[in-house]
Amino acid sequence: MTNRITLDMTRRGFLGTALGGAAALAAGPSWAAAKTLNILSHKVHETVLGTGTDNDLMKDWKAKNDANLVFTTFDSNPLQDRLFREASLPSTDYGVGYIIDNRPTADIAKLFAPLDDFLASAPIENYDDIAPGLREAMTVGGKTIGIPVRHATGGLFYNEQLLEEAGISAPPATLEELIEQAKKLTFTSKDGTPVTGMIMASDLAVFPVSFARAYGGDYITKDFKLLPKPEAMEKALATMADLFKAGALPRSYATTKNDDQVTWMQQGRAAFTMITFARFKQFNDPAQSKFPGRIKAVQFPKSSSYDGEMAAVTESWGMTIPANFADKDLAWSYIREVSSPRVTLGMARNGNGPVRVSTYADADFAAASPVAAAEAKALATARGAFPPFPEAARAQQLFLEDVQLAVLGRKTPAEAVESMVTRITPLLPS
Amino acid sequence: MRTSRLLIGAGKAVAVTALLFWSLFPIVFIVMSSLKPGQEIFAVPPVYVFTPTFEHYAALWSRWGVFFDGLLNSTIVTAGATALAVIASTCAGYIYSRGSGRFLNASVMFLIIVRLIPPIVVTLPLFPIVNAMGLNDTHIVLMVLYATFFVSLGTVLMRTFIDQIPRELDEAAEIDGAGRLTILRRVIVPLAAPGILAVAVFVVVFAWNEFLFAFIFTATRAKTAPLVISEMIGSIDGVDWGVLFAASTVQLAPVLLFVVLMNRYLVAGLTAGATKG
Amino acid sequence: MRTRSLAQSLPLIAPVHILILSVIVVPSIFVIWLSLTKSSFGQAPTWVGLENYVRVLGDPAFRGALWNTVVIVVFAVHIELAVGLAVALLFASGLPLRRFLLVAVLAPYAVSEVIAVVMWRFLFDPDAGPVMLALQALGLPILDWSFEPTHAMILIALLTIWLHLPFTFIILYAARLAIPGDLYEAARIDGATPLQAFRRVTLPLLGPAIVVALLFRYIFAFRIFSEVWLLTGGGPARSTEVVAVYLYQEAFSYNAFGPAAATAWIMVAASLLLAAGYVLLLRRQVAGNAH
Repeated sequence: MTNRITLDMTRRGFLGTALGGAAALAAGPSWAAAKTLNILSHKVHETVLGTGTDNDLMKDWKAKNDANLVFTTFDSNPLQDRLFREASLPSTDYGVGYIIDNRPTADIAKLFAPLDDFLASAPIENYDDIAPGLREAMTVGGKTIGIPVRHATGGLFYNEQLLEEAGISAPPATLEELIEQAKKLTFTSKDGTPVTGMIMASDLAVFPVSFARAYGGDYITKDFKLLPKPEAMEKALATMADLFKAGALPRSYATTKNDDQVTWMQQGRAAFTMITFARFKQFNDPAQSKFPGRIKAVQFPKSSSYDGEMAAVTESWGMTIPANFADKDLAWSYIREVSSPRVTLGMARNGNGPVRVSTYADADFAAASPVAAAEAKALATARGAFPPFPEAARAQQLFLEDVQLAVLGRKTPAEAVESMVTRITPLLPS
Repeated sequence: MRTSRLLIGAGKAVAVTALLFWSLFPIVFIVMSSLKPGQEIFAVPPVYVFTPTFEHYAALWSRWGVFFDGLLNSTIVTAGATALAVIASTCAGYIYSRGSGRFLNASVMFLIIVRLIPPIVVTLPLFPIVNAMGLNDTHIVLMVLYATFFVSLGTVLMRTFIDQIPRELDEAAEIDGAGRLTILRRVIVPLAAPGILAVAVFVVVFAWNEFLFAFIFTATRAKTAPLVISEMIGSIDGVDWGVLFAASTVQLAPVLLFVVLMNRYLVAGLTAGATKG
Repeated sequence: MRTRSLAQSLPLIAPVHILILSVIVVPSIFVIWLSLTKSSFGQAPTWVGLENYVRVLGDPAFRGALWNTVVIVVFAVHIELAVGLAVALLFASGLPLRRFLLVAVLAPYAVSEVIAVVMWRFLFDPDAGPVMLALQALGLPILDWSFEPTHAMILIALLTIWLHLPFTFIILYAARLAIPGDLYEAARIDGATPLQAFRRVTLPLLGPAIVVALLFRYIFAFRIFSEVWLLTGGGPARSTEVVAVYLYQEAFSYNAFGPAAATAWIMVAASLLLAAGYVLLLRRQVAGNAH
C-alpha cells in the first residue's frame, strides 16, 4: 500500500489516491518497482501473457526495466471508447492501448504516436515475420500507429458426432455441401435434443460477408467499393434466407449473439457454426461441452460456382501508444517485448491467435492445437470484414438491418441489396 | 358468509402463489444455475434435479480475484452515496415539508424536471472535468454521482414522510428556542426514521447495481462489481456461465440480505405510521 | 415565508441543489452547445447550428425508436401501477407470513439489469426456455419474441415490469399503510361496500403517492436501455430499438457527439411532453400543500 501511494502520485492526483487508498489495499500484491506502466486492454490480452509469477511471460522484462504492469480491462467496444477518450485528454496515464483493426480512421490515428521512428531506432525482432495483412491494417496514411498482437480468424466448426449420426462422413468442401448438410442436420439427435443445422450471430457482419465472399463478392473492399459484386451478396442473402426458412437457422436468429453460438454448439443444439479458431479449446472443454474432442474446424468453404480466392474474415488487435502519454520509451519497450517471437509463441500457447507466421511452424504449438494448420491457411489470405472509415459502425448497423430483414423474409434479397446501396453509399469516404 | 370468506382466502392464496412464482422463479434459477455442473446449465430440457457443486464458486475465487475487489469497492461507494443522499434529502425534505412559498415550490419542481435529463448525457462533458480534478477512478466521484441522481426522489419521498409528522411537535420545540437544525436532529429524524430507511434502500440498490457511471469513471482502483460481471459476459474468449452465475449470486446476496434486514424496520415503521393517524 | 426562516432554510436545501446544479445542470448546458456542433474523437467541434436536430428528427430509425419508447412507457408503466396497487392492497388486507412475502416481492429490485436479462433470455429461449416449454405444454400460445416485433415488445415490457414493480409497490404500500384505519371504519359504518371504500377513501388518499410513483417511473422508463440492449439488441432488424439505444449508438458506437447530444435534448423534451399531465398534477399538489 505504501509503495502504491508514493508511486502512483501522478496527475490522477493526491485526493483521488488518498480516497482510493482502501481500494489500493484490496488491489492485491504489488512488488516494489520504480515504474508503473498502465495498459488499457481486454482481459484476454492480460491473461495470455500468463498468470502467476511462474508463467509470467513478462517476468524478465519487469525485472530489467524495474517496472510493474497494471492492466485496466474492458469488453471490446467499451475498451475502444475508453481508449479514444483517454487519448483525447490533455495527458493520460495509459502508456499502451489495444486497438481493433477496423477502428483507426485518419482522425483516430492522430490520437496515437507514430511508431516508425521507434521501429527504426529500436527495431522489433524479425518484424517481417508478422503477417503483412495485419501490419497493413495498423498503417494509416503511411504511418504505423500499432503493432499487431492478436488476430481472430473465422473458421467453420462442426460437431463430428452429429454429422456421423446423420450419416455424413466428411465436413463440407463447398458452400453447397454446407447448405445441404445443415438442412440434413436439422433433426432430433439420438439423445432427443432438437438440432438446428447452423447457428450464427445476427449482430456481426462476419456471416453475411463470409457468404458473400464465398460467391466471389464482398461487403466493402479495401479501396471502399461497396458491394463489388451485388449479385454475390444477393445470392448470399438468398442462401441464408433459405436456411432460415428450412429451419436450419434457429427461429431466434434475429436475436442470436456470439455467445449463443458457443452454448448451442456445446449443448449439441447446432451442428455448424462459424467463429474464430481460438474457440476450439472452449468447444471441446469437458467441463462445459457435451462433446469434448468431437467439435472440429475447417476453413469456411466457398461456392462451387466461384473459382477465385476466398479471403477468410479476420479481426486483429494492435498495440498503440497514446500520443498524450509522457514516457513513450517505456511503452515502446513493452510493445517490443510482447511482439518478440518468444512472447508471441508463449501467448499462442495460452490461447492467443499468433500474428507471426513462424509461430505456426513451431512443432510443439502445431501438435497442441489441432486447428493450427487450418488457421494458418485461413490467415494467409484473411482480411477484415470491412476497412476502417469514420462512418463504418453506422454503415455496419444499416447493413445488418437489411441482412436481417432479408433472412427473416421481410425483404427480398434484391430489395435488401438495393437498400444497402442507397443507404450506405453516402456514408463511404469520398 | 363463511363460503365467501373461504372464496376470498382461496383467491388470496392463488394471488400470493402467482406473485411468489413471478418474483422468485428467475432468481431461484440464477442461484440454481450457479450450483449446476457446467454442462447442465443450458441443458435442454432444463435439469431441475442435480448434484450441487461449488466448483464455480471455487473458480470465481481463484480466477476472478478482481471481482472481490469490486465487491469491496461497491460497498465503499454504496455506503458513501447512501449517506450523502440520505442526509441531503432529509434536510431538503424537511424544509420542503414545513416551508411554502413560490420559491420553494418552484425549486421542488425544478428537482424533478431536472431528472428528466438522462444520466448518459452528462457523461460526455463530465469525463474531462472529472479527469482535470484528478478524481477519475476514485470512490468519491461515484458517491457524488449516485447521490445526485437520487436526491430528487429522496427529497420528494422525505417530504411526504415528514408531512405526516405533526407540525405541532416542531412548533413546540421552536417555542423552546430550538433552531432548524436542532429540530431536524431531535424531532424529525427520529420520527422519520422509517422514511429515511426507505430512501436508503432505494439508493443502496441503485448504487450497488449501477453500471454506466462506474464504467465511465473508474479503471482499476474504484472498479465496482457490476463492471467485473459485465466483463465476464463480454469475454472474447468465451463466457464461463457457471462462474458468471456464481458471481451474480454473490453480488445479489448482500443487497437481498440488506432488504431482508431493513424490511423488519420498514414494516414496523410503516405500520406505526398507519396506526398513528 | 418569513425571511428569518428562509435564511435558516437555505443551508438545508443547498446540498441537494448544489449536487444537482454541478453534476446535472451545468454539464447539460454544455451538452446544448455540443448539440449545435459536429465533433468526434480526434476532431475539434465545429458549429453546425440546428443541423443535428434536423438530422435526428428526420431519421426514420429515430422516429421508430421514439414510438417504441412511448409505447413501452405508456403500457408498462400503467400496467405496473395497476398491478402494484393490487399487490399493495392485497398486502394491506392482511396476509400470513407478510414479512417473508414482502421480501419476496421486493427481491427482483435487488437484481442488476445485466443479470436479469441473462436469466430472462434463457427462461424465454424460443426453442428451449423453461417458460416457453411450460407454455407449450399447457397449450398456450408462446411468445415468438425473436421473430415477431410485437412479441419482442411484450417481453421487454414484462421484463421491465418485473424489475420495477417492487419500486411502484413499495411506494404505494407505504402510502396505503399511512391511511388511518378509522377512515375505513367510518366508511363501513356508513354502509359503504369495499368497492365504494376503495373509490372514496383509498384512491383519493393514495393520489399523491400514485402521482409520485407514476412520474418517477415515467422518467425511468423513458430511458429504458439495458432491457432492450441486452435482450433483443433492438432487433429483430431494429424493430424494438428505443431512444436510449439510439442515443447510445450515436455516442458510443458511432462517436457522433453532436447528434448524440441533440438526441438527448429531444429525449428530454419528449419525456417532458409525455409526463406533462403528471407534472401538472404534482405541481398542483405541491401548491396545494402550501399552508
